[in-house]
Amino acid sequence: MGEGASRSAFAVPTGQDRGRGAASRVSSMASAPTSKYNSHSLENESVKRTSRDGVTQDLDEAVPRLPGETRITDKEVIYICPFNGPIKGRVYITNYRLYLRSLETDSTLILDVPLGVISRIEKMGGATSRGENSYGLDITCKDMRNLRFALKQEGHSRRDMFETLMRYAFPLTHSLPIFAFANEEKFNVDGWMVYNPVEEYRRQGLPNHHWRITFINKFYELCDTYPPLLVVPYRASDEDLRRVAAFRSRNRIPVLSWIHPENKTVIMRCSQPLVGMSGKRNKDDEKYLDVIRETNRQISKLTIYDARPSVNAVANKATGGGYESEDAYPNAELFFLDIHNIHVMRESLKKVKDIVYPNVEESHWLSSLESTHWLEHIKLVLTGAIQVADRVSSGKSSVLVHCSDGWDRTAQLTSLAMLMLDSYYRSIEGFEILVQKEWISFGHKFASRIGHGDKNHADADRSPIFLQFIDCVWQMSKQFPTAFEFNERFLMTILDHLYSCRFGTFLYNCESVREKQNVTERTVSLWSLINSNKDNFKNPFYTKEINRVLYPVASMRHLELWVNYYIRWNPRIKQQQPNPVEQRYMELLALRDEYIKRLEELQLANSAKLTEPSSSPASPSQMVPHVQTHF
Amino acid sequence: MFSLKPPRPTFRSYLLPPAQTDDQINFEPKIKKLEPVLLPGEIVVNEVSFVRKCIATDTSQYDLWGKLICSNFRISFITDDPMPLQKFHFRNLLLGEHDVPLTCIEQIVTVNDHKRKQKVLGPNQKLKFNPTELIIYCKDFRIVRFRFDESGPESAKKVCLAIAHYSQPTDLQLLFAFEYVGKKYHNTANGINGLPSGGGGGGSSSAVGGGQGPQTPLFETYSDWDREIKRTGASGWRVCSINEGYMISTCLPEYFVVPSSLADQDLKNFSHSFVGRRMPLWCWSHANGSALVRMALIKDTLQQRKIDQRICNAVTKSHPQRSDVYKSDLDKTLPNIQDIQAAFVKLKQLCINEPFEETEDKWLSSLENTRWLEYIRTFLKHSAELVYVLESRRLSVVLQEEEGRDLSCVIASLVQVMADPYFRTITGFQSLIQKEWVMAGYQFLDRCNHLKRSEKESPLFLLFLDATWQLLEQYPAAFEFSETYLAVLYDSTRISLFGTFLFNSPHQRVKQSTEFAISKNIQLGDEKGLKFPSAWDWSLQFTAKDRTLFHNPMYIGKSTPCVQSHSVKSFKRTKKSYSSTLRGMPVPFKNGIISDQQLLPRRNSLILKIRPKPPQPAKNQNSGMEEYFQEWFSKPVDLHGILLPHLSATHIKLWKLCYFRWVPEAQINLGGFITAFHKLSLLADEVDMLSRTLRQPRASPGGPCSAERDQSRMYFQASGPHPHSTSGTPEFLSSSFPFSPVGNLCKRSILGTPLSKFLSGPKIWLSTETLANED
Repeated sequence: MGEGASRSAFAVPTGQDRGRGAASRVSSMASAPTSKYNSHSLENESVKRTSRDGVTQDLDEAVPRLPGETRITDKEVIYICPFNGPIKGRVYITNYRLYLRSLETDSTLILDVPLGVISRIEKMGGATSRGENSYGLDITCKDMRNLRFALKQEGHSRRDMFETLMRYAFPLTHSLPIFAFANEEKFNVDGWMVYNPVEEYRRQGLPNHHWRITFINKFYELCDTYPPLLVVPYRASDEDLRRVAAFRSRNRIPVLSWIHPENKTVIMRCSQPLVGMSGKRNKDDEKYLDVIRETNRQISKLTIYDARPSVNAVANKATGGGYESEDAYPNAELFFLDIHNIHVMRESLKKVKDIVYPNVEESHWLSSLESTHWLEHIKLVLTGAIQVADRVSSGKSSVLVHCSDGWDRTAQLTSLAMLMLDSYYRSIEGFEILVQKEWISFGHKFASRIGHGDKNHADADRSPIFLQFIDCVWQMSKQFPTAFEFNERFLMTILDHLYSCRFGTFLYNCESVREKQNVTERTVSLWSLINSNKDNFKNPFYTKEINRVLYPVASMRHLELWVNYYIRWNPRIKQQQPNPVEQRYMELLALRDEYIKRLEELQLANSAKLTEPSSSPASPSQMVPHVQTHF
Repeated sequence: MFSLKPPRPTFRSYLLPPAQTDDQINFEPKIKKLEPVLLPGEIVVNEVSFVRKCIATDTSQYDLWGKLICSNFRISFITDDPMPLQKFHFRNLLLGEHDVPLTCIEQIVTVNDHKRKQKVLGPNQKLKFNPTELIIYCKDFRIVRFRFDESGPESAKKVCLAIAHYSQPTDLQLLFAFEYVGKKYHNTANGINGLPSGGGGGGSSSAVGGGQGPQTPLFETYSDWDREIKRTGASGWRVCSINEGYMISTCLPEYFVVPSSLADQDLKNFSHSFVGRRMPLWCWSHANGSALVRMALIKDTLQQRKIDQRICNAVTKSHPQRSDVYKSDLDKTLPNIQDIQAAFVKLKQLCINEPFEETEDKWLSSLENTRWLEYIRTFLKHSAELVYVLESRRLSVVLQEEEGRDLSCVIASLVQVMADPYFRTITGFQSLIQKEWVMAGYQFLDRCNHLKRSEKESPLFLLFLDATWQLLEQYPAAFEFSETYLAVLYDSTRISLFGTFLFNSPHQRVKQSTEFAISKNIQLGDEKGLKFPSAWDWSLQFTAKDRTLFHNPMYIGKSTPCVQSHSVKSFKRTKKSYSSTLRGMPVPFKNGIISDQQLLPRRNSLILKIRPKPPQPAKNQNSGMEEYFQEWFSKPVDLHGILLPHLSATHIKLWKLCYFRWVPEAQINLGGFITAFHKLSLLADEVDMLSRTLRQPRASPGGPCSAERDQSRMYFQASGPHPHSTSGTPEFLSSSFPFSPVGNLCKRSILGTPLSKFLSGPKIWLSTETLANED
């Protein structure tokens, strides 16, 4: 099996790479997401080179490789493209990706798939299989596609490929490290520096005389899925917090997510109270919520949004959970937001895949789409977030948001509401901070929801909660084309690397584990890649606005399926890339710059003609602002 | 259900900017006595005072007080109250902001809520109760509601009856355009050539650009057709005058184009065999010589084969390569006009008649069930297939339809929009509508249902505009006009003032207006009928400033410089280079190889190369067509060449601006595509200005003078004295812009908080079902 050999290859990753200039490596990789965006990466060099059998060394050069990425094996296969039929090609497997290039002279097909997106690998066909291309591998991916390869029956090539893929796509199952730890990419920006909680709270004006920063969770003693640094009411002592923790599921106590800069109302997040069948009460929790309520003197009640359908909230009592009853919390108003649980969302996305991959359900497209309920769920999440934002902004009431554990729906609601309320989060860095804060640091279970490096594809813990959040953000960016600094590519890049395992950003379930694994030291942050190539991710229409609350219209009339993401593998459906409106804007920008340059030159020439020094109007550098101010 | 006598609201919106005044110069200094400003020939039929216009169903807080007037042109609500929450108004010069032209009224419902009675009011009907409320459903999807709690019961009733009567006239000559134009003739000295803005009856009319733009050919004259033949380079075709004076057919234009090989006498002989004597009409020729022809069915079964053969031979002879003729029987391949009308009715029902929240759950399947999008797709698909036949198979196409004046209009126009960039300019698009709709005898009168209800109504023209919008949406830089232009064009079909959309045929205009002129003692002189104002004379409806909203800032005009890979190059398109893009296949196609995709700047969507299918025995043309489409989509789009629509169900969208603009609940405040459009306009304007400065470097070094500023083709300007010149998103922008749903009835609270929009349960609203208990 050569296990030892491959493991050592892993341990000494850069054997072949050392000779190369690191700088050129970095820059070539930096463009990788750009090409990935175009469904199948199409690297210049690899296209031009006609592939001839036997010149593997030459070809090998053309296979893109990250620093720290090592070749494991390559095989001749037939890629069964669902759109264009079987294509003969050679597949290269590294510890990071599966890369296929067609061997047919008339085809330029390239597949470049990070192994992290693989959810399941199945063998198809057996020794007795007869049909053409019926023997091979069927790979299910987390990003809405399947890959099928047919292999020759003789020579164990399928077994080799299967085993290599299993090992490197599911390293955790094989006690191997995830690729992010082998990745040696270098960027000129360190994405791990983007989020600094103290700075972010300071930006929000915290601490102030109502709110304090507590280090009670510094060693994750209060709550192992919360970040070390928390913002809590000034009047609540650390001892109070400990007692409240006892009454909240997984000790996830109500803590501040965001404070309104003017009316000082707040968005708090937490998990469900441990009410149970007997309807337990906890004086400390009740008092704590009252303390929160009192930080806002404008309104008498605290608004609690329970993200779940009320039936689910009631059902949770059976397992010790529940919700805040009116008796126990007379100063709070509770609303259920009817957002379904992770299992419902997973099944819904599965149905979306069924109607878009490989073929789009053309004949009854809209009703098929409706039957997936995906947009309906998006609508409910957005509606919930709108309510949170509206309550804080117009209703001038502080809001407490929770679901069951407070790491899925709660994260969706608080982060979307914050995106609506605070224009800072609509910038590239602001959005990164939002994700880093509300999702990563507050313990959205990325590892469980995505199943990084784990072969258990049927794990009931997996669910596209974060994808759903990004979809909601996309819906908002569609409705407000000038409000976001980032473009669609930014969102798609985040989603691609949610699965890819190239960066440490989305690894593990919570901060305490990340700290234990030394993630920030041992891996690269996705924000390093993005922030060192910001121009690729900028929305040209962005108009910076401060203090504007965005209220998207969460109506089915406006919600759309994100075709460019969910149906991006289908060459017949894919829309024009880049977006023609954006493209035209960029062209006009270039034209303007060109004209300004020409005008400058012209005026320079004119002033040169006029020999009298007094009449020469100005130096060119002064001319430009002159021109611009006039227009 | 409704509060009976609400106190007269004292609410004055302080949100309203005071700036509006100079837009209203046409309305005299503020009319204190609430008197209407009438158009020439307009007469007030009935009026009632102390009327309340309802803005929201759940509160009377925003209601407006004023006078409701029914004239022979419109219903008009005149008020001193400012519109609540309205930040912007795009004004139609012919209409006040609360006005509804009579021809735009779809249904009139009167209600008496004390007696719990309601009645849908038709013309010449009696009303046994005094209405406390009047609800008007408009053909453009608006709903307006008036309350008469404080008004005289009798006069309220009279106004309702008058509206019912005048909005559904039985005779064409009762449409307002006749009175209007009659008055104009009387007002001018000798009654001839009196109208400054001709059109709809000879001459040409100016396009958007305030008289400076090119003229829209109306195809009423020999020379317009002749020029079109020359423009398309169609050899083998000639203008034929046998129908002068409508001697042959009353539903054909006086001049049309036929194969040169057919003599006048042949045509006269054949004409009897065609339905409506509508013999083949040339529409357009591709640069490769393939022609698009439309004709009615040959009803004479004995002669059928023979005549058909003669016509086909003649079309073949007119083709430079003598190619065969490809016949497309539209009646067999497309939904019929009743199906289309049924789809539209369902769409309208979905968009307006149902409570907003109730339609949310099943929105997508309900939308699918209307079949509207499916039909749009079918028409686009069929047109694209014909483009393939014309362009790639180089065959002339003959569209066949029973009368050849319904589906043919849509298909003929769409083919030309896709195949000829001229028709994607404003002037070109207008000339296309003249050519394939107005002159070809599309029955606007019947299909728009301007008169008393008939079964002939069908929204084919809207279908065409919607399909054009789909193309505009997919190729936004290929069109000179904006979606606002398309929406306003649709609205213009509902204003009974323009000759353009009033008649079933050019002959009907001449006949009816001559009769009218005689009855009114108007001297026509040499004129063939009265000259009605043309819809293309946009200055009648909009100020020069507002008309700039018709311009698409993304459009790359023929001589406009365009930047590719960061170098400016000016591509002036001569006739020759235009032809060369159309003529024959580009090189890569000929070699059967896709060129290096890295060189394609504009489109690299098809990264997966579409593998050419192994050569199949050409059992049908479908494989050829598939290949043609795949080939086309794998190349960068030439915005001045052929445009083919993406036809997947995921690409065909609902035209939200058109259908949602009056629905307050669907409005995205400070959002929608318009916000990007705004930024594009600012930039395009700046580029325009720079290029003007560059062209005249000698001129004042300070930059262009103020006169030039007014030339800007953009509504939103980079800077300058105009109020809307900030670089941030202007406050008044919304997804409905430039329309504002605020004055339209909102079935839910309009007070902006989304809470009220989404939290409260569905409200009971007068739906069509509850109308069943008629008086």
